[in-house]
Amino acid sequence: MKANELKFNDVDRLIVDNVEQDEFWVHRDLYRDPAVFELEMKYIFERNWVFVGLDSQAPNPNDYFTTWIGRQPIIVARDKQGKLGAFINSCAHKGARIAHHRDGNAKQWVCSYHGWAYDTAGQCIYIKDQDAGCYAEPFNKLDHNLKKVKFGQYRGFLFASLSDDVPPLDEHLGEAKKMLDLVWDQGPDGVEAIPGVSTYTYNANWKMQVENCIDAYHLTSCHPSFMNIVSRRKAGESRNTQVRSIDFNVMDVVKGGTACFPRGHAVIYATNPLESERGLFVHKDEVVARVGETKAKWMLATRNLTIYPNVQFAENASLQMRVIRPLAVDKTEMTIYCIGAKGESDAAREIRIRQYEDFFNTSGLATPDDTIAYEDCQFGFKAKKLEWLQGTARGITGNHRGSDDLSREIGIEPETGFMGPMGAWDETVYYGGYRAWKQFIKDGLEADGLL
Amino acid sequence: MTDLVRALAEASQVLYREAYYVDAQRWDEWLGLFTDDCEYWLPAWRGEHELTANPKREISLIYYATRAGLEDRVWRIRSGQSIASTPLPRTTHTVHNILVEDVADDSMTVLSTWTAHCFFHKLNASEVFFGDYRHSLRKTADGWQIARKYIVLKNDYVPTMLDIYNI
Repeated sequence: MKANELKFNDVDRLIVDNVEQDEFWVHRDLYRDPAVFELEMKYIFERNWVFVGLDSQAPNPNDYFTTWIGRQPIIVARDKQGKLGAFINSCAHKGARIAHHRDGNAKQWVCSYHGWAYDTAGQCIYIKDQDAGCYAEPFNKLDHNLKKVKFGQYRGFLFASLSDDVPPLDEHLGEAKKMLDLVWDQGPDGVEAIPGVSTYTYNANWKMQVENCIDAYHLTSCHPSFMNIVSRRKAGESRNTQVRSIDFNVMDVVKGGTACFPRGHAVIYATNPLESERGLFVHKDEVVARVGETKAKWMLATRNLTIYPNVQFAENASLQMRVIRPLAVDKTEMTIYCIGAKGESDAAREIRIRQYEDFFNTSGLATPDDTIAYEDCQFGFKAKKLEWLQGTARGITGNHRGSDDLSREIGIEPETGFMGPMGAWDETVYYGGYRAWKQFIKDGLEADGLL
Repeated sequence: MTDLVRALAEASQVLYREAYYVDAQRWDEWLGLFTDDCEYWLPAWRGEHELTANPKREISLIYYATRAGLEDRVWRIRSGQSIASTPLPRTTHTVHNILVEDVADDSMTVLSTWTAHCFFHKLNASEVFFGDYRHSLRKTADGWQIARKYIVLKNDYVPTMLDIYNI
C-alpha cells in the first residue's frame, strides 16, 4: 500500500492502547512497513521540532555546521551579529549544495555553480550578472534567500522545524526540559560536544534506537561481556586499569524508575551508589554549591533521556549525545558525541572520555551489541507471518499516572511513570512514544485532509 | 642500502605477521606481538581533515595506554557473551607502502597503509576499511615487538561494526 493510501485507521490499528485492561501491544509493521516509514518522516520528522545540535558547535559569529531535518539538508549558522538560525542547504537558483564542508566559518557562501552568494543569515547578497540578466518582474519579485526554517533554542540545545505549524519549543519540550537541565547545569556554562565525532549506520528501524536508550531490560542479557569485563578488572583478572567503568553488577542498592512526557519524550533513571566513579564527581562541590544536593545527586546518577524523535542524552557509563537520522524503514544513521561541562578539569574530562570509549563509542564494548541486536530484530521482522510483538508488557501493573516519590525527588511531573523493584525493567516507558506517534500522524493526516 | 633493506624486511615481517594473526583469529599470538606497555590508538576525526590529537581531552575511537585494553577485547571476542562478536566476520588485511624511519638497532618507526576486507555473515555483505598505520617497533628478547600502534581509519562512516579485527 502506498504511503498516500494509508489512512489513520491503517496505522491506528498497529498500536493497541488499552492499559485499563492491562494491555498495550505494538504490531511489527511499525518497524518494517515502508509506507509507515513515509508517514513518520512526513509527520514526525518533517512537521515537528527536531534536534539539530549544541550551541558549542557554532560558538562564534559566522560559524556554521550542516545537518538534517528528516531527509532535508540544512545549515545551522550563527550570523555576523551572533544570532543562530537554520536554512535549507540548497541554492535558490538551481538547487546546488551551498555549504560544502561539514562545518566551518565563512562570512558568506558563494554557490560554486553560478555564483549566487548568501550571508550567514541566509540572505542572498549577490546574483551574478544580475543587471545584464534580462530578468523580468516574475523573477525579480521572488524571494532569492536561502529557505529559512523555524529555529529554537533551549539553553544550548538547538532545534529546528520544517513546519511553522508547531507549538513553541518550550511547550514542545514541556517537563522534559527539566531532564535537559540536569545535563546542561552540570557545568556553570553548560555542556559542549567533545571533539571526535563518530557516525555509523545500522540495518534496522530508527525506533529500535529510540527504545533501546530507555530499555533497562536488555542490560544483563545484551551486555554481559561488558559487565563481566568490569568485574574482571575489579578482581584483578584484567590488567586494564586505565578506566573505572560503570559497574552494572551493583544493583541491590539502586532505586530506579521511568517516566513518559507528552510529545514522545521519555526517560529512565536510577540512583548511583558509586558516584565517585563519574567524571563530574571531580567537580561535585562546585556543582552542589550551584544546584543543590538533590539536583547534584541526580546529575551523578543514571539518566537515559530521549527527546523525541531524534536525540538522546544517555548518562550512565559516561555522558553521551546520540542523534538519530532515519535513512529507510530498515536503515538508520547515528551520529554520536561525548559531551561534558564546558571548562571542566583535565581530570574530569579524561575520566569521562575513557568511560565513553569503553562503553558508548561505535567501537566500544557495548554499543555494537545493541546495534547488532537491532539488526537481528529487523531480520526477525522479515517474517510477515508474525504480527504482534510482546515487548510492551513489563511493568504494566506498576504503571501510574503522574509522579511518584522518585520522579518528585528528581523534580518532574510526568504524564505517566513507573517505580518498582530492580528487576522489573519496565517497558511501559515506551507507551509515551507510541501515543505521541499516533497523535503526530493523526494530526498530520487531518491537516492534509487525508484522515 | 643493506641496513635499509634489512630494516624493511624485518618491519614488513612484523606487520604482515600481525595481519596474519588477526585474520586467522589467533588472538594470543596477536597479543604476543605487542609489548605490555604498548599504546594502541585509533583517533577519531574532528572534521574532514583533522584527527583528534590529545587522547586526554578529545575522543578516540580506541585508545589504550597499555596492552591490557586489547586483552579485554580478546576476552570479549572469545566470551560468547557478545552478540556483536558472534559470528566474527572473515577478514583479510593487506599492509602496503611500507616506509621505515629512525632505524636503530633496537627500534624503528614504520609507516604503512592498510586495508581490511570484511565479510559479515548475517548480511552477506563485504565491507572494506582502509587507512594508515604508524608502528613503533622495539627489539626485545622475543624479537621485534610493537611498542606503539597508531591507526588512522580514513572511511569512518561505519557500517555497524568497528573493532580490532577490521582496522
